[in-house]
Amino acid sequence: MIEDKAAIVYPDPARSWIAVAPVRFVVTLSLLILVYGFSLYFVDFDVGRLWGGLPRLAHWAAKAWPPDLRELDILGERAMETVAMAIIGTTIGIVIAVPCCILAAQNITPSALLYTPVRWFLNILRGIDSFVFALLFVAAVGLGPFAGVLGVGLHSAGSIAKLWSEAIEAVEPGPLEAAALTGANWLKVIRYALLPDVLPNLTSIVLYVWEFNVRASTVLGLVGAGGIGQELKNSVDLLDFSRLFTIILIILAMVTLIDQFSAWLRRRLV
Amino acid sequence: MIAATPPNDPAIRIVGLSKRFGDRIVLDDVSFDVAAGEVVAILGASGAGKTTLFRCLTRLASSDDGQIFLGEHAMQSLGGRELSLARSEIGLIFQQFNLIRRLSALDNVLAGRLGDVSTWRVMIRRFPHRDRQLALAALDRVGMLSYALQRADSLSGGQQQRVAIARALAQRSRFVLADEPVASLDPESAKSVLSILRDIARERMIAVLVSLHQVEFATQFADRVIGLRAGRMISDRPAAQFGEIDHRMIFAG
Repeated sequence: MIEDKAAIVYPDPARSWIAVAPVRFVVTLSLLILVYGFSLYFVDFDVGRLWGGLPRLAHWAAKAWPPDLRELDILGERAMETVAMAIIGTTIGIVIAVPCCILAAQNITPSALLYTPVRWFLNILRGIDSFVFALLFVAAVGLGPFAGVLGVGLHSAGSIAKLWSEAIEAVEPGPLEAAALTGANWLKVIRYALLPDVLPNLTSIVLYVWEFNVRASTVLGLVGAGGIGQELKNSVDLLDFSRLFTIILIILAMVTLIDQFSAWLRRRLV
Repeated sequence: MIAATPPNDPAIRIVGLSKRFGDRIVLDDVSFDVAAGEVVAILGASGAGKTTLFRCLTRLASSDDGQIFLGEHAMQSLGGRELSLARSEIGLIFQQFNLIRRLSALDNVLAGRLGDVSTWRVMIRRFPHRDRQLALAALDRVGMLSYALQRADSLSGGQQQRVAIARALAQRSRFVLADEPVASLDPESAKSVLSILRDIARERMIAVLVSLHQVEFATQFADRVIGLRAGRMISDRPAAQFGEIDHRMIFAG
């Protein structure tokens, strides 16, 4: 039993008006209503139109069966092309990311002057999607997977460098300081005290970005930048639904396989 | 200020060291020597200025007044290459060990050779035979030879701290600065770490400065005990003469 006969009466700690529960509830609710109201208005949300379109979708789905397996060899080749685009694109990203992540990690950057501009540069790369880059490169270097690879590469460089520099910044400073104080120069400290600690993390990040790039590469064909997306677009244009169905199955199998493989590899790293 | 000359022996000499953070005085006119082969314990509560003192000694922090000599190095006047040369003679032992976690005990001890080994060799992580021998001997000295290939993060705290001492040995340090080296260890490991520190001081004529907050460790393992309180030295006497009064002066509220 808690005795509170002679207890002091504690006043409730004063809260700011916004922290009072009912006020907070009303404010949050009105904000949500506002956000959703505007968003629904902008996207022309219309359940009736979806309803009207359903029979057409059902009709196509019916026509998609059975999947058209006649061009399996060509489609398989295109799927390989997509994976290859992700591999080469990610590699280009790594090459650009290595110097950038060193400059963009606050704890090891050799130049405080370059730190901010490099961060901005990386944000720009990351902010522009592979798809948009690919669109530009198709115009610059012509149709085909090469344009796609360049697009994937530039966008990944931003992602990889940002994730890498964050992983590096999360490293304990003690061991680095200890190594530096033995008289080791900057390069030795990075190589000997930093790299062994972060390498599994950095590799895991690369795998994650590669996995993402495989998915991103499947649609690059829509802008003429190679891969299985090109076949996807052709089939949609020709309303060839059984071929489209095969392509979607191939994409699903490919993405699932690669996600599983990459996840397995990443588990083994840590 | 007293005019100080570098001591002849390779040892630590601190003269009138003062340090302020804003208008808070962290170190106030601290002066003492540590001879080669001697272990001096700095005893003080947290916030007494122990860590600041150590940071000043390695020039990780600047001091406002006074002089610091490590052997022939007048620490405050050094910069660039001279500073890193002086630092390469200081073995540092930290409370949190600061080993490179994913590297083996041996690789961590080899880190003590980084200053001397050429950059390209470090890049490919091939240390010369001589340096590997030195590292193995250092591991043997602290009783960790059989753990040479174990990853640092798989070792216990006491074992990690012994590897850190081996790193300081491999570095051929003339001075060892140990800031609360046993604060995160159990009493048994703490004793083994401190007795190794004392023994290597004797064997290799290393000047050892160690900060502690347990009186019994200080009196058991150090030759001299210096009491630090609110940045001021309030006692400096041979460990055998350290008494209840000193204890109270250092720690009493």
